[in-house]
Amino acid sequence: METNGPGTTVGVNVALSGTLKDQNDISVFGMVEGEVISEKSVTIGQTAQVKGPVKGELVTIAGVVRGAISASEKLELLETGKVFGSISTKNLVIHSGGIFVGKCEMPTGEETTEEPEPESEIESGDTPSEETLVPDEE
Amino acid sequence: MYYYIMEPPSSRAVRQTYQRLRDLLTNLGIAGEMMAASPARTPEELAMMGLERGYSTIVAVGGDAFVNYIAQTIIGQAVLGIIPIGEAQQSAELIGTNNMKTAAEFLKFRRLSTFNTVTADPDSLIFLDAVVEPPKLAKVSFVIDGKLRGYAYFNKMTVTRNLEIKIESQHLVEPKKFLGLFSTGGTVVQSLSQFHGRNVRLTTEPDLALLVDGRPVAKTPLQLRLNPNSLKVITKRGSIL
Repeated sequence: METNGPGTTVGVNVALSGTLKDQNDISVFGMVEGEVISEKSVTIGQTAQVKGPVKGELVTIAGVVRGAISASEKLELLETGKVFGSISTKNLVIHSGGIFVGKCEMPTGEETTEEPEPESEIESGDTPSEETLVPDEE
Repeated sequence: MYYYIMEPPSSRAVRQTYQRLRDLLTNLGIAGEMMAASPARTPEELAMMGLERGYSTIVAVGGDAFVNYIAQTIIGQAVLGIIPIGEAQQSAELIGTNNMKTAAEFLKFRRLSTFNTVTADPDSLIFLDAVVEPPKLAKVSFVIDGKLRGYAYFNKMTVTRNLEIKIESQHLVEPKKFLGLFSTGGTVVQSLSQFHGRNVRLTTEPDLALLVDGRPVAKTPLQLRLNPNSLKVITKRGSIL
């Protein structure tokens, strides 16, 4: 659903499934199973439950989101908000009480030059073998 | 030359209003053929007659439901003029005045604005806001543009000519009882939703009528389709600077 209309509001007693897409603001206070995509702001209200990716310029979370969130400008997780999934944003604000479980990426445009060290499991008392320390060549 | 279709007068006062309107239009030099709708000749039949006679502008004189009926018949074939009479609030807002004299002057200056409309299959048209108001909380299921499905409970649903669906509900959440005796009071939960699309399917439980100004134009289940820029209407003349 794409249009130049006045935006979309999903009321508290509404349940949706599918792709909710709008060029204008989207506000969710009900249940959505699927994508929520706006070219402007996305507001997930306190009563909202979203299962699926959320994407917008400005994303504000006061409800529950299970899925990836991408906010090109700013992501704000309010004190009643809960996010279970990865987030990607330039500017992140998490209020005290907000819950976030997942990975966070904050792209700055700078490329990292160091390769992350491979993880190795070492049990106490064991001497790491050469095979464990040398990373596999791919 | 304009072709005027007048809604059957509901009272003597309205008949007198129509006489004043005739005089006004004559003074403005835009008096044309005037037809009065009646049980013998419906507004739709009169509009078809006007089109067959070659009129490029059909003027609806009456309330909102009457204007919507005329629009339904002439869409794509003629320009719509409006003289709002009585409680024609939507029509008055559309053209920019609820004053009969001013509306007649707009006809003289003939400034056109283009509006969207919505087709409610098979052959109904929504030009002014259509409302569904069930006697008690009802359920609506909808599919928007084939991509988004949903359902909601509502007390009132509005469909606009831009195919915006507004769903309002207000219901009481049962109060909790303590020890089965004492209630802590209920809470009124209000919900307002707004969607829009180009193709919308609406189904309600039970089937309900869609009303414009209290008169039915369609009934659920409905397949709604947006017709962008489909109706030209004579509206308020812009100010001259």
